[in-house]
Amino acid sequence: MTKKQILINSLFTENAVWRQILGICSALAVTNLLMNSLVMGLGVIFTLACSSFTISLLRNYIPNRIRMMVQVLIIASFVIIVDLFLKAYLPNMSKALGPYVGLIITNCIIMGRAEAFASNNTPINSAIDGIGAGAGYALVLLIIAFFRELFGFGSLFGIPVLGQWWTKWSIMVMAPSAFFMLALLMWGVYILQTKAKKI
Amino acid sequence: MEKQKIHFSETKFYPVFFMIVITIICVGILATFYHLTHKRVEDYELAQMRKQVLETLGLPATSVNEDYERYIRVRTRDNITFYEAKRDNIVIGYCFPMQGSGLWGTIRALAALNVELSEITGFSITEQNETPGLGARITEAWFLDQFKNKSIIFKDEVIKYSLIPEDEIADLTEIQQITGATASSRAIVNILYNNLVEIIQKFKNS
Repeated sequence: MTKKQILINSLFTENAVWRQILGICSALAVTNLLMNSLVMGLGVIFTLACSSFTISLLRNYIPNRIRMMVQVLIIASFVIIVDLFLKAYLPNMSKALGPYVGLIITNCIIMGRAEAFASNNTPINSAIDGIGAGAGYALVLLIIAFFRELFGFGSLFGIPVLGQWWTKWSIMVMAPSAFFMLALLMWGVYILQTKAKKI
Repeated sequence: MEKQKIHFSETKFYPVFFMIVITIICVGILATFYHLTHKRVEDYELAQMRKQVLETLGLPATSVNEDYERYIRVRTRDNITFYEAKRDNIVIGYCFPMQGSGLWGTIRALAALNVELSEITGFSITEQNETPGLGARITEAWFLDQFKNKSIIFKDEVIKYSLIPEDEIADLTEIQQITGATASSRAIVNILYNNLVEIIQKFKNS
């Protein structure tokens, strides 16, 4: 597979959320505001790229029986670096995201890519795969957050766009709407992909 | 029979050895990174806290450290630490740090009271871990401003504010809650009530 194919594959074709149904918990939790989704997405892209690169670099030395422990250790280290960086240089963003940055550690996509790709491929390809999978996750978050923030708050990235006449849909701000939106998105993508295959 | 040589990476000790080494490396990197950033983080947190104390008390915070030195004194009485604001040597108000449980973790807040300890003059949140977009909206100005100028005493008892829906108009003892974040809104009202009861009880006689 070429580098471009790896990227497209992990970003669209085998998208972590809508094809592999991974990372659902955070996709449901942070998607009521576009800004939170964007920063969460960027954090995951960084962690995925760095952890996949490092795990791939060490793949021939990591003992098979303890590989998951090592992967979690490496992933956790990168997440703590992101957290410290945000606290020191972007304190407002760090405050806005609260506990979610720390929760990147438990994002299944990162372990999933480490196991499925980074432990059998070269470091550069693994980093590209990580960026693709992270961007795919960020894409899903942004699509869902776009509709939830628009209908729920009448705004986009905190800027009011729908005006006073708009009756805010409270359900869009609350957890259930994330389930509906995610299911609708998966349905839409499935239809598009099966149509594309037939052609 | 000749003994077969086993490579170190195939022995039982290798995983243990590997884990120890990689843990030391990771912890070392994190410790270095923490060491490089913690001064900056602490300075920022201190400045942020001072700024918030000044703002909650309604004082200027253009140059935070200077203004803080000029107006604020930290005092402790009956195990309660609080900030006393003075302007031209006259006490103009008090600011009390308070804390309590939120939905996901501890919420810390600041409540500024007038000199008679009968009215809230400002309220702000210093730390919270509520759900972003839902409970985290307790930090929004419209929600916090509702506590401004609210009486805290009625017939010698501390008032416990009741919650009403976001689109209804609140009277003197009511607070508009955040839609979809009832638990966090209630947590704030409870934290305020519990801490005020303790403060009023201890300060009543002095």
